[in-house]
Amino acid sequence: MKKLLFVSLLLSSAVFVQAQGADFLIYSFKGNVSVVENNAEAKAKVGKLMNSSATIKVANGSAVTLICNEAAMFTITKGGTYPLRNFGDSCKVSKSSVSSNYVKYVWAQMTKSSGSPGSNRKAYMNTVGAVSRSINNVWIDPRLDTVNYCDGDVPLSWKSYADAEEFEFFLFSSTDIVNPIYKTTVKKHKVPVSDLLGKIKPGNTYYWTAAVKGEENDDLKVLNYKKKEDFKSILETIKAQGVPFEGEAEQAYRIAFMLEDAHFLAEAHDYYEKAATADEANVLYRSTLMSFRKDYEIK
Amino acid sequence: MKKPLHKRLGHGVKHAHRRVTKYLMERDTLFATLWVFIFIFVLGSIPLNLGILNPVKLGLKDFDFNDLYYSKVGNKQKNDIDSNIVVVNIGRADREAIAMLVEKTASMGPKVIGLDVLFDGPRDPYQDSLLRETINKTPNLVLAVKYLTDSSHKLIAANNYFKNDKTLYGHVNFPTHGDKETIRSYYPFKEDDKEHDIIIPSFTTTLLKQYNQEAYHRIEKKINKETIISYSRTLTEHKKQYLVVQPEDLMMDMVDSSSFKNRIALLAYVNDNPNDIEDKKFTPMNEKYAGKSTPDMNGIIVHANILSMVLENNFIKKFPGWGNWLLAIIVCWLHMSFFIHYYLESHIWFHLAAKIAQVLSAIFFVWLGIEIYNRYHVKVNMKYSLITIVMAVDVIYFYEAWATWMHKKYHYNTVFKPHHH
Repeated sequence: MKKLLFVSLLLSSAVFVQAQGADFLIYSFKGNVSVVENNAEAKAKVGKLMNSSATIKVANGSAVTLICNEAAMFTITKGGTYPLRNFGDSCKVSKSSVSSNYVKYVWAQMTKSSGSPGSNRKAYMNTVGAVSRSINNVWIDPRLDTVNYCDGDVPLSWKSYADAEEFEFFLFSSTDIVNPIYKTTVKKHKVPVSDLLGKIKPGNTYYWTAAVKGEENDDLKVLNYKKKEDFKSILETIKAQGVPFEGEAEQAYRIAFMLEDAHFLAEAHDYYEKAATADEANVLYRSTLMSFRKDYEIK
Repeated sequence: MKKPLHKRLGHGVKHAHRRVTKYLMERDTLFATLWVFIFIFVLGSIPLNLGILNPVKLGLKDFDFNDLYYSKVGNKQKNDIDSNIVVVNIGRADREAIAMLVEKTASMGPKVIGLDVLFDGPRDPYQDSLLRETINKTPNLVLAVKYLTDSSHKLIAANNYFKNDKTLYGHVNFPTHGDKETIRSYYPFKEDDKEHDIIIPSFTTTLLKQYNQEAYHRIEKKINKETIISYSRTLTEHKKQYLVVQPEDLMMDMVDSSSFKNRIALLAYVNDNPNDIEDKKFTPMNEKYAGKSTPDMNGIIVHANILSMVLENNFIKKFPGWGNWLLAIIVCWLHMSFFIHYYLESHIWFHLAAKIAQVLSAIFFVWLGIEIYNRYHVKVNMKYSLITIVMAVDVIYFYEAWATWMHKKYHYNTVFKPHHH
């Protein structure tokens, strides 16, 4: 009987330990995040370790990045209350051996197709810009290093590493990069080019940047406002490069791709949309349009 | 009647075994193997850089087969955050802000603090005095220096204006030729070539001495010994294996003090943005392990990896040079025997069989090197073995001509007959 009791005690403690097993670490957070442990609620702190019995509360507009021990990192961006035991799947460790990883890698490399520009636009696009030294609280995607614009709309966007509410957007002429010709304070992380049309003239080059309100950012990006006739001639050249019997959707997709490569983002968006509308059944056109919108923060 | 499967398999193995071993003990196989090494030696001794326009050679200049382990197949095995270490990002802080960050970090109770910043000379007097005061009142703070030789060729610790007789310090040099090389090793202690009492410990060595004596004993005898770094963790956009605290979070008390208590706190510039290459180095963990790439790891994360390696007693041993050459001789000998078999007996298939054997052998020996690295923490240089496999095919043609000439001239016994194919 004693043995039976001992075994059942051992089994139940093993089950308990497994349930309690995972440790979660708060790696970073933004906004209002709190932790409930043993019915006591406390403000979240970076580096805090919690077990799976804890609950995390995330306010709207806040985010928290957690790391489960021995497993991947994940971020909660939606407001709500989350018992950590629900994240058990994120704590699973894949234990594949080095040899199997090696075989998979060699096989993947040997059977990898070189792909085509149309099905993997990011791998072939010349819009990625250069790496940079130093970083501000505001990071502007190198894809926006140079934006050529003629018509339509595309936002000039950025990301913020600081928990800032307001950002300042500066627009400079090419002749004076000290005194902005336009300055505005925004709460969103973007300014649509259409908002700047009253301040810019076709045929001119402008520089722009964004910073957390009260801070500076020396990272200037280029905005070329092209004349309609210049864009028309570029478009004609692109159109002329088509193959015989090119379908409407096919042509629109190719033009969009080439316009994006030439940094005409607003115009590229119009053509990606045209392609997706002209051939609604084409998954590639639809997914590329979605991916383009996501990349350039177009809602 | 059809033979059973095991018999057919056995027959196949026997057949393959015969192909490799039939000519193994022939004098020609041994001499052809010798010629491969003579060619390697002669080509390696040409003082001209013949690879100047060779894109393959230029692309693979800084390449090591074991990088595949870190970059693609092995480093994913380890996922845990090293809880001994916490990194504080100093961002673009000036000397006054750095002083504040050091003070705040010290107040969290770490066992030792490392400040991986080189202070070249005086700047603003007010800020300098603040930082000096903070450094003086933080006895567990380790400063970063660079080792150099002065005009009298004496080893000195330089590049830190705040270093004095009382401060703890360590060098942050890596034995690479410029910034563009991959960091694979470091010197736990750097000793002067002539005056052996002048020894500068590395930044991580000084930190370990303060943090954990047992770990320190593992490296205290590595004076002037280049030690291979075993990278176990990284810090990227998608993978965070060290806890990094942002300066504003630290100053606003948004960090749990237990993550600092009795740990190693490292203060430096750190950023996981792949487009920001400020203070970033090339490491074997770079996603792109050959050809053009961008630096992938902040200097402080390289130091953190060294600390993790010593604390976890996770050193890499180097297979001796003679061992690498011995392995290359055996590999070349076996391949030569196989190639000669095809060359003489199935010449029509020789090139196809040789190319297939070269590809399969390359895959196998790279795997073998990685597996030995992973299991036994021994770095075997498979480069020589792979070079001999590549060269063996071409050397057979030369050897055939040489053996035939020797046969005519000196009645040298050979399995190669003039124009046999």
